[in-house]
Amino acid sequence: MRIKNTILFSLISTFFLIFLISIWKILATLQGLSINSFNIEIILIFGFLISLAHLGIGDRIKSIYKSIIFSSIFVFCDGYLIQKLPIWYNVGVFLILYFFTNKISKYTFIGLKEEHSTQVILFDFLTLFGILFFSFVILFPFYMMLVTSFKTQIALLVNPLDFSINFSQDIKDLFKSYFVIFKSYKFGKYIVISTIVSVGTVIVTLLFAIPAAYAVARLNFFGKTFLSTSILIIYMFPAIVLVIPLYTIFSQLGLRNSIEGLLIVYTATTLPVAIYMLQGYFKSIPKELEEAAILDKLSWFGIITKIIIPLSIPAISSVALYVFMIAWNEFLFSLMFLDNPNSFTLSRAIQYLSGDAETPRQYLMAGSVVVTLPVLFIFVYFEKYLVSGLTAGSVKG
Amino acid sequence: MANIKFTGVHKSFGSNKIITDFNLLGKEDEFLVLVGPSGCGKSTLLRMIAGLEKIDEGEIFINDQKINELHPSKRQTAMVFQSYALYPHMNVYENMSFGLKIEKRPKEEINTKVMQAAKILKIEELLERKPKQLSGGQRQRVAIGRAITRNPKIFLFDEPLSNLDAALRAEMRVEISKLHNQIKTNMIYVTHDQVEAMTLADRIVILNQGNIEQVGTPEEIYNDPANIFVAQFIGTPKMNILEVNEENVISENTIKLLGNDIQFDKLKLNKSKHFVGIRPEHLKANQNTKFTFNPEIELIENLGNEKIVYMKKDEHQLSAKIPSNVEIGSSIGFDLNDIFIFDENGKRLKS
Repeated sequence: MRIKNTILFSLISTFFLIFLISIWKILATLQGLSINSFNIEIILIFGFLISLAHLGIGDRIKSIYKSIIFSSIFVFCDGYLIQKLPIWYNVGVFLILYFFTNKISKYTFIGLKEEHSTQVILFDFLTLFGILFFSFVILFPFYMMLVTSFKTQIALLVNPLDFSINFSQDIKDLFKSYFVIFKSYKFGKYIVISTIVSVGTVIVTLLFAIPAAYAVARLNFFGKTFLSTSILIIYMFPAIVLVIPLYTIFSQLGLRNSIEGLLIVYTATTLPVAIYMLQGYFKSIPKELEEAAILDKLSWFGIITKIIIPLSIPAISSVALYVFMIAWNEFLFSLMFLDNPNSFTLSRAIQYLSGDAETPRQYLMAGSVVVTLPVLFIFVYFEKYLVSGLTAGSVKG
Repeated sequence: MANIKFTGVHKSFGSNKIITDFNLLGKEDEFLVLVGPSGCGKSTLLRMIAGLEKIDEGEIFINDQKINELHPSKRQTAMVFQSYALYPHMNVYENMSFGLKIEKRPKEEINTKVMQAAKILKIEELLERKPKQLSGGQRQRVAIGRAITRNPKIFLFDEPLSNLDAALRAEMRVEISKLHNQIKTNMIYVTHDQVEAMTLADRIVILNQGNIEQVGTPEEIYNDPANIFVAQFIGTPKMNILEVNEENVISENTIKLLGNDIQFDKLKLNKSKHFVGIRPEHLKANQNTKFTFNPEIELIENLGNEKIVYMKKDEHQLSAKIPSNVEIGSSIGFDLNDIFIFDENGKRLKS
């Protein structure tokens, strides 16, 4: 059992190490480093040996020294003896190895005696792998976008995939793209329009969704079950199906190129899910609270504003966040309905810019950063309201 | 100072009849306890008084004013819920003053009322806390305090102690009893716990499937139950009910029970099936009693100060409550006065 577990553990950790180093090598190659061979067999042997040595040494050396020693040996062999590579590459490899040896430091010989330990190890590494891989997939383009927005035209022509930012240049040059998009491309105006549309959509959606969700959750009326189940059916129509009929209608009504038109469409598309999310939460609020409020002489309106809304802050803020993100990032409707640059939203503006072959890429990327950052900040800010458990203490739980 | 009157109240949920023809006249400042098994309609009755449930048929009067169509807030009742139902986003003071604030009463009046209530319930130091920072007992105190500040004519308690642990329940029971002595108002209290009913009530209303089985003081209910249901409902362990077949009814006033011929005074028994009830606490061991029998003892539960003896005699299962210092011999006895006799429909026959 123990031998089997030990071998399995060493293999799993070795594959994990290969995965980490491979990503690093790919990134390094993109930076123009010529790596002769991938040297997978070297990493395989080293990974296996490090895992075994780690188990063998156990607690005899402090784990921090152990990590440093293992990492140094690996860097020395891989980056110096086998092939000579620049120092920044080796620092990266050292950090990866350090991270890796720290990760495996919690596994010991004694732990491996247990029957389930291989399953635990497998799941540990699978989760870690998942987190690293998918965050890489998401964060790498984001990082490229950020880096590119700080580049000059020449630097981009020399090496379009250069990951470094040249901080030695003048701060004005560094932020040049941002100045340009706000000055020449009127991004300030687009931000204002996008903000008005998004915040407006949030307000209008909540205004309709809260009473509607309360009605679905609590009141009995004819056709209630049909209504509550059909709410989501609206969501099954793809937007592209709606967009052409809506285009003709909006053209007739003169709603194209107007914020009001966008507000109507966005609210219509976000309302069903908003109602669905809210009614689920409203149902979880104990009915006795409302009955107590009735005895306290509150009207229906008072119950909603004084009891339901304060208690549903987490649900309402997550709905608001969701609606805001949909409205802020929405692209299809804004593409169809807006053709006058004076009424563009941010996403439409970026599309407009990229459609123009003359627009330098760093400006586009700066524009994309401007689109992304507000959502990021709002999410971080609202996150604290998303904690559940506001109803704690009201009734026996 | 109020009295409550029910005349022919009916209530059903769909085809499910919860309450049928309920009639009751409450006395002034009375502590009325509605007790019954779950699903008997006692909570529904309370919610109908409060206005949270519509009255299908019949009328309810408070101080001779019909309240059927009155809005819940105008009925001058205050309800204490089983689950407390405190507003979690408000602190104790705000919870207690909320109703008054909605009525837009002056600040000083609100303050005095809340302080008074807090003083009665000894929760003055908790006023700044949020409900989630309170223990179960404290929460229920706040819920009662909220009811007091509304200054109602009738307090409605919907199983207020069911969510508390046993020790706290006993403590709060005493508190509620004291509260009633302190603020002389009508209180209607719903429970399924017979101990609460017996200790708190001025009068007990025993309900079963939406019907009143018996109304009376705790003593009346215990000593003089109207039927088998009431007799078995009150008292732990519940009353032993023994079936007496036609052939064991020897004459108009004599039956054969557990090997004894028992003769009743002034009783006319039909030649039909009867039921005999004996409370476990009235079965005695090692004492001089008029009648005795030799049961087969199956199990003895020792509760410290007393023991519960489960036994079998012929086809009858019996239980007895006996002080734990009494040795249990082979025979168990009982007296004539301790016997309740019921007809075949379960109605009590009085001698």
